[in-house]
Amino acid sequence: MHYALLITGSPYQSKACHSALRFLKAALSNPNYSLEGVFFYQDAVLIGNKMAQPPRDELDLTAAWQSLAKEHQLPLYLCIAASVRRGIIDDKESQRYELTESSLADGFQLEGLGTLVELINTTHKVIQFR
Amino acid sequence: MKKTLIHLTTSPYTGLACKEGLDLALVLGTFEQQVDICLSDAAIALLFVNQDPSSEHGKQLHKLLDGLEFYDINNVFIENNKLTNKTEIWPNTHALSKEEWHSLFSKYEHVFRF
Repeated sequence: MHYALLITGSPYQSKACHSALRFLKAALSNPNYSLEGVFFYQDAVLIGNKMAQPPRDELDLTAAWQSLAKEHQLPLYLCIAASVRRGIIDDKESQRYELTESSLADGFQLEGLGTLVELINTTHKVIQFR
Repeated sequence: MKKTLIHLTTSPYTGLACKEGLDLALVLGTFEQQVDICLSDAAIALLFVNQDPSSEHGKQLHKLLDGLEFYDINNVFIENNKLTNKTEIWPNTHALSKEEWHSLFSKYEHVFRF
């Protein structure tokens, strides 16, 4: 069974990113399931902000996603339109908007909604966390 | 081809969810995917005619409805009993009975809520 995840809930206002992470860990431990990618949309794109500094006694959610994605070579896509409007900027967008900084965390990439459409069409199931 | 339902539940003026749900519907249409839209709860406000929001209120999303047909999005559903007769809404809305509404969601491979 091939899965993809669509995460739309804010990492600060919901547990969507936390729940998806737990789901992913469980799914990846089962050889019958494969995850083709994770697409973050709406406020969920805030997970890819490298400037965010969580308190030291709390889970670093961005780092947890980065670690899991690296371990399993899992692509983490952030919707580019949703990201740019929320200040999540990669080097290319930084140049385009003539900014001096970028804010996209390592392990994440900005993609259009077309990438989500491709995930919908190439997997058996897309699960939304909101 | 997989069929997708975009279920809008939030007000067009309390956040970006309604707009970003519509954006996804338009992209699915652009990629020639079968996509329908249904609205419930506060999202029904999107259908009200004669909206004139200021920039502080948010983007005028109602105008997008007339363009849906250009993306081959021809079905916009609500549950029939969610409106009073006095409310004038976007004319191409399909009102479903309670039974039709409840069976709607099982007709699609994907349902995404915003």
